Amino acid sequence: MGFNKYQVQHFFRNTLLHIFLLTVTVSCLFPIFWMIRSSLMSGTTIFTDQALIPVDLNWHNYVVAWTRGNFAVYFINSLIYTISVVTGIVVIASLAAFAFSRLQFPGKNAIFYVFVAALMIPLPGSFVPLFVLMNKLHLVDTRMGYILCMINVGLSLSILLLKTFFDKMSPDLENAARIDGCNQLQIWWYVALPLAAPALAVVVIYNSLNVWNEYILATVLLSNQDLMPLQRGLMVFNGPYQVDYPVLMAGLTMTAIPVIAIYLLMQKHIVKGLSSGAVVG
Amino acid sequence: MKLFLALLCGLMLAATACGCGQSGKEANTIEVWHWMTDRQDAFEVLARKYEAQTGIKVKLALFAPSDAYTQKIIAAAQANILPDVYSILDKKAIVAAFIKAGFVADLTDAFQMDNNAWEKSLFTKAVDVNRFVEGNVDGVKPGIYGVPIDVGSQQLLYNKTLLRQAGITRPPATFEEWLADIDVLRRAGITPFVSGFGELWLIDCFASNYAFNIMGEQKVFDTFRGKVSYTDPDWLRVFTIFKTLHDRGAFMNGIVTKGNKLAEQDFAVFERAAFTFNGAWSVHVYRQMRPDLDYGVVPLPVFNPALPMVSWGGAETSLVVNNLSPDKDKAIAFLKWLTAREQQVFLFTHLYSLPVNREAMAGVPENLAAFSRVMETSTHPKVWPVNEDPLVSEAFLKGIQAIIIGEKTPQAVARDVQLVKDRQIEKASQP
Repeated sequence: MGFNKYQVQHFFRNTLLHIFLLTVTVSCLFPIFWMIRSSLMSGTTIFTDQALIPVDLNWHNYVVAWTRGNFAVYFINSLIYTISVVTGIVVIASLAAFAFSRLQFPGKNAIFYVFVAALMIPLPGSFVPLFVLMNKLHLVDTRMGYILCMINVGLSLSILLLKTFFDKMSPDLENAARIDGCNQLQIWWYVALPLAAPALAVVVIYNSLNVWNEYILATVLLSNQDLMPLQRGLMVFNGPYQVDYPVLMAGLTMTAIPVIAIYLLMQKHIVKGLSSGAVVG
Repeated sequence: MKLFLALLCGLMLAATACGCGQSGKEANTIEVWHWMTDRQDAFEVLARKYEAQTGIKVKLALFAPSDAYTQKIIAAAQANILPDVYSILDKKAIVAAFIKAGFVADLTDAFQMDNNAWEKSLFTKAVDVNRFVEGNVDGVKPGIYGVPIDVGSQQLLYNKTLLRQAGITRPPATFEEWLADIDVLRRAGITPFVSGFGELWLIDCFASNYAFNIMGEQKVFDTFRGKVSYTDPDWLRVFTIFKTLHDRGAFMNGIVTKGNKLAEQDFAVFERAAFTFNGAWSVHVYRQMRPDLDYGVVPLPVFNPALPMVSWGGAETSLVVNNLSPDKDKAIAFLKWLTAREQQVFLFTHLYSLPVNREAMAGVPENLAAFSRVMETSTHPKVWPVNEDPLVSEAFLKGIQAIIIGEKTPQAVARDVQLVKDRQIEKASQP
């Protein structure tokens, strides 16, 4: 049985493509595998055991990480921060983006560019002024202060993303809603937001990751250790001179689970949000 | 829409609830902010003990890593909400700025009380790190402004097993002996030297030790003042040390990209190199990594026998007292208690940190004690009357890295560094 040249070309193209995709997959998954593998080793074997699967599986590291890292408290804190900040960003950014996209008001462009320009300011550069401002508002060392700062951090990019999406929304949809008796707020709620679901998914995942992994601003703003986020627990195992690698890896694995779960839950929307946008409505 | 409004109301309620909880400082409590993650547990034990003894609660807050801690201290200073006890992890000029702003208490009276009892109990060089002398360049009122809680120095560590394998019976005392050992090790197929030379401060320690040994302190300081050129033959000798070590094949491959934590693994876990250059904390690190590692500690081999080999050393960690704190005296009393013999022995036993209190040295094992033996001849940038311009230092250290990888010659680096120095002098002289 012979193959024609198209079948051969197709076969080689497919093989190359699959090798490439397999390489990318392995390079993405291997660090996660290595993290889990290292989390199951002891302080000595982590340096000496070169096997892919450790000989002795040390599950106790997870117990140590959970208890010594005070993860029970920090997990709840991180959940509160992530949910509050992401909800705040979604509400404020979508309203602001809708206003920038569909409403006409004086200084619209100037205000929008100020928001976009805020993207250029690196977060560490704003630590001290933020701290002083929060102190003046008596919000230092409070959850509220940290949440407000983190909402502020995530707004610029989220507004930019959503505005781009709303800009592509057909004016006919808006007009039809207006004929049906909707006011601007109702158009935003009933028309714009459902259509922006893919972009909202990107905003949610991006900001969730950002808040879940944030630690430096929390360190600067919060002093009460009971208010600290999850990353604080990881620092316990990462000393200035010494790192408890297996327990740190166990902590990292536990920390990564919610993020991976969010990503898997929203995967469909994220892909759509990143790839679509050409036609809305 | 109703859902949205409910969501918004819920969020506002949650946020308001979250906002509650900012608490003022508790009565009869000392607040301590530190960044030493690996010491938190031991400090907690001591805090409970102090409370049991005095009724004063010590509230310890850990903020790591050190970069975040530094940001927090600067922010808290600007907002005027510094704790009772904290650290300033920065150059002496920054410490001076804090002192001049009134954020750091002068502890001289406390140290000199009872015929200098507190000061005498501690290693002088460790106290000196926190001392501002008469006529200091920072214009700070002379005095002691910080409390060292442990000491350290940087030394040469050698793997006894690898040296024995190569037939070397004792560690080198002179640079010539070290070069001979390096040749022997190379012939035996053993990498002679590894260190975290990817971290510039370690190269700085190594190079400064040799600079002091080759030309003496005064000439080094005169170079910083711009009176001696980096192209001077003595500085060329300093640069040439790295060239010689490179030419003899002493350095492990990739040494200039290696962080200290990786170098520690190379030396202790994998025994990939016979010598390393590291600080006193490494004894604890090696003990955790490889309890059975057979090694010794000596000063860097002397290049110029006419002058002593001065090591970087002194206070490893220092704490300061907030001058604006209403509990200043309580904070000072706590630090005095923390540096007393009993607490220092506890810290050494649990953390293997080198005690700042001389009386606590009994029982310290040989390898750790070796780091303290050079304490009286040690030096530290914080006790120098003058420090090099940061841009010149960077050019100096990166130049040495270039020599280590064989990219530049000592002469070329000396010229490059002097060019930067001239530029900085010219800039400083402009009105």
